[in-house]
This record gives sequence, C-alpha cells and structure tokens, in this order.
Amino acid sequence: MRRKLSYRLFFLALILGVAGCVEPIEFDVPEPREQIIIQGNITDQPGPYIVTIDEGLAVRPDTVANTPVPGAQVRLYDDQGNIEDFEEIVPGTYATRGAIQGEIGRSYHIKVTLKDGRTYESTPDPLKPGGEIKSLSWEYEQGTAVEDFGEIPDDVFGVYIDSEAGDDPENFVRWRMTGTFRIETRPELYIVVRPYWDRPLMLPRPCSGHRTAPHPSGSGTILVQVEPCVCCECWVDLYENFPRVTDDRLVAGGEFRNVRVGEVNINNVNFYDKFMVKVEQMSLSRVAYDFFRLMRIQRESASNIFQPPSAELVGNVVSTNPEDRVIGLFYSSSIDTEVKFIEREEIPYLLTPTTQVPESCLLHYRNSTTEKPPEWQ
Amino acid sequence: MRRHLWICLLVIPFLSNGQTVLDSKLNGSEKGQRLALVLDSIQSNSPFSIYYLNDWLNGIEVNKSYAGLSLKQLLDDQFNGTELSYVLMYDEVLVLIRDPSFAKKKEEEIKVAQSLGIKIDQVILGEPVLGNASNENVTITGTVMDWVSGDLLPFATIQVNDSLRVISSDNQGRFQVELPKGNYLLKTKFVDYEDKLIDLLAYADGDILIEVEKEAKELEEVVVEADREQEISRAKIGKTVLTVKEMKYAPSFLGEVDLVRQVQNLPGVTTVGEAATGFNVRGGSVDQNLILYDGLPVFNSSHVFGLLTSFNPDAVENVTFYKGGVPAQFGGRVSSVLDIEAKEGDFEEWSGKAGIGMITSNVSVNGPIQKGKTSIAASVRSTYSNWLARSVRTDYADLRQSNVFFYDATAKITHKIDEDNKLTFTGYSSHDAFKLVGDTTYRWNTNLAAFNYDKQFDKTFGAKFTAGITNYDYNVEDENVRTAAKLKYRLTASVLSATFFKELEEHKIDFGAQFNYYNFQPGRLEPTSDVSNAAVFDLDKQNSLELALFFDDSYEVSDRLTLNAGLRIPFFMSIGEAEVFLYDDNDFKQITGITDTLSFGAFEPVKSYLGLEPRFSLNYKLSETSSLKMGYNRIFQYLHLVTNTTAVTPIDIWQPSGYYFEPQRADQVSAGFFTNSLDNKVGLSVEGFYKHIDNLVDFKDGAQLTLNTHIETELLQGTGRAYGAEVSLMKNTGGLTGRINYTYSRTFRTIGIPGDRNASINNGFEYPANFDQPHVLNVNWKLELTKRHFFTGTFTYQSGRPVTIPLSLFNFDNNFVAFFSERNQFRIPDYHRLDLGLVIEGSHNKRKWAKGTWIISIYNAYSRQNPYTVFFGTSDLGIPEPFQLSIIGTILPSVSYNLNF
Repeated sequence: MRRKLSYRLFFLALILGVAGCVEPIEFDVPEPREQIIIQGNITDQPGPYIVTIDEGLAVRPDTVANTPVPGAQVRLYDDQGNIEDFEEIVPGTYATRGAIQGEIGRSYHIKVTLKDGRTYESTPDPLKPGGEIKSLSWEYEQGTAVEDFGEIPDDVFGVYIDSEAGDDPENFVRWRMTGTFRIETRPELYIVVRPYWDRPLMLPRPCSGHRTAPHPSGSGTILVQVEPCVCCECWVDLYENFPRVTDDRLVAGGEFRNVRVGEVNINNVNFYDKFMVKVEQMSLSRVAYDFFRLMRIQRESASNIFQPPSAELVGNVVSTNPEDRVIGLFYSSSIDTEVKFIEREEIPYLLTPTTQVPESCLLHYRNSTTEKPPEWQ
Repeated sequence: MRRHLWICLLVIPFLSNGQTVLDSKLNGSEKGQRLALVLDSIQSNSPFSIYYLNDWLNGIEVNKSYAGLSLKQLLDDQFNGTELSYVLMYDEVLVLIRDPSFAKKKEEEIKVAQSLGIKIDQVILGEPVLGNASNENVTITGTVMDWVSGDLLPFATIQVNDSLRVISSDNQGRFQVELPKGNYLLKTKFVDYEDKLIDLLAYADGDILIEVEKEAKELEEVVVEADREQEISRAKIGKTVLTVKEMKYAPSFLGEVDLVRQVQNLPGVTTVGEAATGFNVRGGSVDQNLILYDGLPVFNSSHVFGLLTSFNPDAVENVTFYKGGVPAQFGGRVSSVLDIEAKEGDFEEWSGKAGIGMITSNVSVNGPIQKGKTSIAASVRSTYSNWLARSVRTDYADLRQSNVFFYDATAKITHKIDEDNKLTFTGYSSHDAFKLVGDTTYRWNTNLAAFNYDKQFDKTFGAKFTAGITNYDYNVEDENVRTAAKLKYRLTASVLSATFFKELEEHKIDFGAQFNYYNFQPGRLEPTSDVSNAAVFDLDKQNSLELALFFDDSYEVSDRLTLNAGLRIPFFMSIGEAEVFLYDDNDFKQITGITDTLSFGAFEPVKSYLGLEPRFSLNYKLSETSSLKMGYNRIFQYLHLVTNTTAVTPIDIWQPSGYYFEPQRADQVSAGFFTNSLDNKVGLSVEGFYKHIDNLVDFKDGAQLTLNTHIETELLQGTGRAYGAEVSLMKNTGGLTGRINYTYSRTFRTIGIPGDRNASINNGFEYPANFDQPHVLNVNWKLELTKRHFFTGTFTYQSGRPVTIPLSLFNFDNNFVAFFSERNQFRIPDYHRLDLGLVIEGSHNKRKWAKGTWIISIYNAYSRQNPYTVFFGTSDLGIPEPFQLSIIGTILPSVSYNLNF
C-alpha cells in the first residue's frame, strides 16, 4: 500500500471531517510586477540548448499561459572564452545553433539584453559529473481515491532507480522523470448540441480530414474523409509535480538505491497501449540544487495547512540594475538518461476500454504532440 | 503600649435563639443613672458579660424608667441616632460597638451566610478595656487548616470585613494581620473548600485557627478566578491563579474542558488557531512558556496537535500563571510561567469521578492508602476518536482507515511523615499516536516522575526540595518496505531544586538553587527492513547543564506598599562530547563554507553563559479598593524550539544554546491600575507592557530542520519587541457574572543583517511575528438561571494574523512556482466566535452517593468560518490557488455527562 497524504494533510482531513471547511480566499495584491523570469540550461548532451524569457503572472486560477518576452539578445559564454549567440525560435524562446557543446569540467553562463535595454547575467555554473543510472524499475502499488460517489481504485506503478552518484565530493543530483503515452481520439465525431433541434449538429474538426455531406438518400448527413487525420493520434507528456533532488546525506557509499523518482497512474488513458518512462539523472551545482530544492519545498508546502512560510527562490541570474526584479537560473548538467516502457499487460487486471473522445487530441490533452517521440518504439 | 489582658480562644457555634443578656428585665431604678452604671449592675448581678469602652458611654444617662422592659429596649432607645450599637456574641455576652453601620452590615452578612449554609465560628481575643478609649492595634496570627485532614492550606485568602482588606496565608498556611481593636468578620476562601466566616472580637494579640471543610465532591473545572480578590490586594503584577472550581461552566470544544484554553482567554494571551499547540504570551513564541507540572518542566502540552491539552483538569489542583513580574524562582523561558500543581488524594475517604465526552472518557479516584497519613490521587483519560474519525464522512479514504489514539495518566502519592514533613511522588505520562493508512506512524510521549519533599523547620522557616526526571520523545515510523525507517528524537531533563521560605516580620523571603541536566538525542534514523534504502544516520547527542541561584523578597513596606525584589543568576553550559563546524563567514554560514571542525571530549565545556536576572515588582494601594502595580523582569532562555511552521507541531525539535546559538534574553516592564467597587461586585484592571527580546531564533526561508548536522546554517538570530495594553472588566457577584478582556498589542521581529538577503529574513527589516494580533477581545459570562441551571458563554474576537502570500507566478520547468511577498506582510481575515453552554447540575443533596451533571455546549454558535491558515491548492491547470482552511467551520454542539461518586 502507499501513502497518499502527508500527515499534516491527514490532520486536515480529520478536522475537516468533523467540521472544517476549505474556501477560496482572495487577497488584495498589486498586479504582478514587471518581473522577468529567465530559465535555461546546458548539458553534456548535444544541443540545441534552450533559454526562455517570460514575465511574471497574476495568481489567478485563470492564468493559463506564459507571457513571453520576445526580441532579446541572449549570449552563451564558457570559461574558455568561447561565445555563442542564441537565436529566437519562437517568441520568448531562444536556442543555440550547436557551436558550443557542454563539457564536464567547464563552467557556463549567459548574458541577456532585452529590447528595452535591461540586462541580466548569470553567474558561471560548473558542469559536474553526474553518475549513471544502473537500473530503472517499477512496482505495482494499490491505492484508492474517493470521489463524490464513493471509492475508486487509484493504483499506480511506483518508479524506482538504482544509480551511482558522480565522482564529485558533493553529489547534488536531480532526477527528472517524464512520462509519455500514446492516445487516439475521434475528432471527426465532434458535435454541437443545439437546444431547439432534436439532433446535434455534426461538426467534424477540420484536422480530422473529415467533412460532412448530405446522405445519399437525401435525408440526414454523412461524414466523408477527404484527407488524412492529423489530430487523431497524439503522444502526451506528463511532467513531475515537483523536482526531485537529493544529496548523498542519507544514502551510503555513493550509491542511490531504490530511489523513488515518480509514479505512473494506472488508468485506461495512460495505458491506451503502453507507457514510456524516461528518467534523467542530472548533476547540479549547489546553486541549482538549492533552487530546485526550494522549488520542491514550495510545491510541497503549498498544501501544508501549517503553512511554513515558503521559500523565495534565488537563482543565479542577476540584473545590472538592482531595481529590476528577476528570477532566473541558467544551470549546467551532465545527464544520464534511461528510457523504458511499461506494457499494458503488466497491469494485474484488465482495464476497461478507453472511451472514444470526439475531439482533437491536441486540444483535449495538454502537453500533447502529434510528432512521435524519437524514443518511442 | 499594648496591654495583654488575657488571650483566649473560643470557638462556639453561633446561636440565635434562647434567653440572652438582652432579655434581662429592668426594674425602673435605672432612671437618671449613667448607662455605664446600669450595665455594670446587670453584669455583676447576672452570669452575663457586657463589653464596652467607658468613654463611649460618657454622658449617656437613662432618661426614663424601663420597669418591666428588657435591656434590649433600653439600648435600642438609647443608641437610636448615635454611632453606638451592640452585638450579641453568645447568649450571655453583649458587646457594645461604635460603628452601627458595620453592625447592621455584619448582621446582614451573617444572615446571608446562614442562608447559604456557610459555617460561622466566633472567636474572642482578649476583652475590651474598661476605662479609657483605646485605638491600639492588635496583631492577629493564624493558621488555615483542613478541618478533616489537618493539612495546612497555603495561599488561602482571608477577607477582613467584606472588601476592606484581603490577606492570604503563606505557603505554610500561616497568616498575620495587624488591626485596630474591634470586631471583625473574617471571610476565608480556599479552592475546593467551603467558605468560612470568623466572627472575631479582637482586643488583644492572639492566634486563631481557621478550620475549613472541603466542598462536597462535585464536578470541577478550571475557572479563572484570578483578579477577584487577589489583584486588588496582594497579587503581583502579571500573576493569575486559575483554580479548579466546583463546576464546569464554560462552553467547551466537543465537551472537553481545557486548561490551556482557559489561559488563552486571559488578556495578553493569544493563539494562532484552534489546532495550534500552546499559546503566545505578550508577543512571545510558544516555546517561551515554561510549563511546570509539580515542579518539573513539560515540553509538549498537547494532544492531537493542540486540539486538546494533555493535562486532565480532574487531576489538577491549581494553576498559577505569570505573564509578567515573574518571581526569581522561575526561569529558563522568557515569556511566561504556567505552574501546575497536581491534585493530592484525600486522606480520609475515597471518592471518584467518571466522565464521558465526545472525544475522551476519563476516570479518576482518590483516597487514603493509610488514613490520615498517606493518600493517592490517580486519573486516566483516553480517547475513542478513532471511532469519531472513522464514522465521519470525508473526502479522504485514508482517514477512514487511520488510527488516532492518545491518553494521559497521572498519579500522585502523598505521605505525611509528621506535621512538618511531607513527601509526594508524582508520576505523569502522556502518549499520542496516529497512523496513516499504509505506512507512516507518528508517536510522541511525555513521561515525568517527580519527588517533592516539604519541610517546615519552624513556624517561619520552611523548604521544598524537588528531584525528578522529565522526558519528551517522538518517533516517526515509515513502514513502506523500500524506505522503511524509524526517526527518533528524545529530550531528557533531570531536575534538582531546593527552595527555602523564610518570614521575617514584614519580609517574606524565598531563596534556593535549581540544577537541570539536559540530554538531547536530536535525531536518529535507522532502517527497519532489510531491503530499505535508508541508511543509519545518527546526529550527535547534545548535553548541557543549567544551574541557577535565586533570591526573592516580598517586603511589606507599609499597609499600602508591598515590594518584591529578586535576583536570579543562571549559568548554562553546553558540554561535550561534541563536534563544532567552523565557517569562513560567520554571518552567512553554509555547508560549503566549512573551514575546520572543533572536537570536544566528554563533559568538556563547549560554551557557557552566565546571566544576571533582576526581578522587581511593587504594589501600591491607592485606596482600600484600588492599587497601582509595576513590574520588571529579565529572563534568559537556553532552549529554543526550532520550527518552520506557523503552528508548532509535536515533531519540532528543541535546540539548546551552544557554540552558535546564544541564549534569548527578554526584558519586560509592565505597569497596571487595578480597582474594584467597595462591595467587590465590579472590578477593573488596566495593564500595559513593553518587552524586548534579544537572540530570538528564526529559520531561513526553506530551512531543512530534520536530521540536519549543520542546523546552524538554517537558523538566524535577531531581536524582537512587543508592546501592548490590556483592559479587563469583571462582574464578580450576582446572578450574572463574567468578564470582558480587551488587549491591544503588537509584536515584531528583526532578524539578520540588513541588506544581506542570505543572512537575514525580510532583508533585515522589521516584520510582524506570526502571532501579531493587534486586537483581541474576550467576553465570557455565567448566568444563573436557577440554582442548578446555568447559561454560560464566551465570545472571542482576534485580528487576523499575518501571512506570507504569493504575489505572482511563473512557470519553471513545467511547474508553476510562486513569487512570495516578504514575510508576514498580509493578513488573513479576522477571527471571531461565539460559544454557548448550558449546565444542568444534578441534585445538590450531599447525601446522594453520586451526582451527575449534564453540560451542553455549542461551539461556534453562528457558524463562523474562521480562517486558520491559508494554503495553496492546485487547479487543473497547475495554478496555485489560495484557500483558507477553517478548522471548525460550522456550529459544533456537544453533550457531556459527568458523574461524581
């Protein structure tokens, strides 16, 4: 069995059970400041390396998208005097073109100049050896969740790794797990319900390649495929809720054993056919480690009713003007990646068939793409 | 010059009927004679005695014949319109007095007392001087004693002639008072005892014995009785006595009467919420309260994260609370002292009590092991909240299969070796556990054993010796096979102390020494399964010792002025075995900045601190009903509770002062004005304070506190200040009694180096503390509907406390992350709540073998959803959404039943 709630949440539950309640609350806060967010990294793997620049967002449930900052000049430096300019590939997103590749032992930093002249610079971040993932495994774990109508199974595969820490005396490591599944939808079946009509209107999504045409009998409408569907099959990425980092404080001998790096919910969407687990073991400098550690604490403590005051993230990007507020991290990592597939057959029971979704898979699933990932077999 | 004619001690039941001296018949010869001669003649020709002062009767002649009439008629006629009156002491003793208003008042008072069943004893010391008037004073000494067991009763209050003057017995049950010769009513009060009136005729120095009788064993409750008599007279500034009194009147949370909640109702005391352990006193943090149980410190006073206090009110004799003017015998915590005395068993007969509430049930018994010599009081309280938790409909399936359990138990054995020597043993144990479905169990325990030896060397010199050990530990057990491990924490304090009490004329002197030895196991993690990936991790044990010498003198300079002055000299030393890391930058310690390590051998001094703590308070009576009080104290604190949450949790850790952590030091000044009406029906107190604290400990943002070998890198020290004014209005008598407390106070902190974000909080600027609540109002009342029915209530209002909230968001690596405001710059909405209670007592007939009482409480009567905290849920899009959590967000009725047998 697995634990779903922290003990503090449990306490919340106890009290809520008796009499407590949770209500949204609003604070009268000023609009988000002109705050710049800069993030990016360089690895020992071939590029391109990406840097994104955004503005801060309001704390509102309807905040959905980043507000990118286009038109900046971004430049990458190493400690050997090499320089490479980033190129803006989409607004606010900048990529290298392959002149510099990260190497273990080197240090890297960036300089950013915005259109309005504000400039920012990161402190040099050393690229450290990161160790190697020895094995990637998973284990079926039973669980339940309660919905309004009662309890439902909420089983997962817990994902674990064994790995070696790097040669560096300080083993600051981050494990980044990304899950990917394939899904099919039926965008040609998209309909619109009309209140005063007895039948809904068939309105196939254009990307489905289908169109409506009059039924040959003269009564009703039929669907006709006129070109291939380009939004019927998607690969959906699932990201971790918070970064997982550790040092070697609690683990002896420079080896990490049975480290839980994430979990995969068992359901008929994630396991439409199979599920791809990708785990990256990334070396970090202490600054980057602290950044991700605080980010994790913030993400975790957000739901802690005892409300530890959350940590303010301090990265390594500073502004040349102290008045400018910036949060940024440009870090260097060596990466060891392990990819494996969890087959649907490994689930110890039969899943119900997946409901056909009458919508474009790109619209229905966040973080979805119709491009098959290179690792997908 | 005082003349001692004779001293006698008479205690005769009051009689109101029968043939008396006043019925003496006159024959008419009295006409034209001086009244003094007439009375003299009656006295010499009868067995009756008549006391008066000659000069009172100078010039009074009997101007008509009273043949066939009684002496009463004569006196009534003669005294009509004069200041003279008379009192019939026994059937055969007549006392003439010169204050008729007092005589009438006394007569009324006695009538009222008789109707209430209050026992009245009459005592005559000496006899009136026949001849010249005398305004000489007499010195009355006395002892307050349990009528049955012969126990001397310390700190009983004795009220002289209604509210004119109140004295209290000392810790040996003795008292002394100087009064002009005359007639007095002494009203004696003591917790759990029935009131007693002494009708005293004092014409010479003398010693009186006041024997009081225990009340019938009825339900008891902690009731704040503080200021009623004490504030006006002898009480020190900032001192409150909470007494375990006859009935559980106050409305309660789920029917559980709670000692700490009573403390929280006092002015100057706040709490961060319903589910918060402990309380904050005058801008102090929770760890700054010294909680003593029969002389030993207790490090965790809560069950279920503060929902309940871990002291069963049925096991508590009385509680003294100091929030200012702390006497020198207490030290080690800078904000307040809560001194709890466990209940002693009865030396004569067995009795018991059982109670059933919605969360807990309790049983307590007490009685003699050897009659008159040895007694025991024991009680156990436990929960069945598992049932409650599991029966609740909740969105969390895990809850329904979880376990919550706690108990507390206490036993106190008292052995009277002889009249002057008493030995007590107190054992106390409190245990909490809860297990989440699946794999983690949390347990925390307090265990305590104390020996107290009271010794009376002579009437004015006594001592109390204490030896004991107190232990607090918790463990967190992870039962998940892959990560199975147990985290243990333990703190043990061994305590030795000797306190001596000496009375010298107007001085009451306390002096002594205390020695504490602390042993900390700050954390040990060990795997509990073969395949666990946890490694053994053991933080070094920490040892320290604290020695303190203290001296305190209460000096009654005059009838109006009482001074208290004291000095405490604490010495604290952190000792080896220990390793200390040295850093390249002492202001900004970080693991990567370690330059060297210092090693200390066993018992080798690591760091020591010597302090001087002056204590001072005074009480100046402006009049018989009002007084002015002032207090100053300095206190050092050597143990710091390290927590990074708003509310203290049981698994936070205590960190001793040492190489890096300097002791906290608090200086507090307070001053107040206290007054009440002549008849003591209404009272008012106003008190202000200013407090400055050095070396407060606070955590850096995102600090990791558990199993941290470099905890000094996560904590910062700074200063704090708090100030405020407290106003209290009381109505003490009548069908409706109650009090209104209002406090305005602020509390701020400044931590770290200004401008250095890494080595400061809030960039080194001052910020309000988590528990900074400017306005706090508490109103509570008790309305007597009938003799057995009471309607009680409490209303609480508190300003919303400060919180730190996100101002903006950004998306980093596919996670939304918040950018937070500076610490505590926003506030949650204000807190207010109304609780109501109905108490239905069982029969008052003492002959019934058992008595039951129903208590119906309505908590949060108007369903206020008070925010306890703000946390952030995550929307479907991954956006953090602020939510407020109300611990008790609805009306919460409860019923409890208590049975005394």
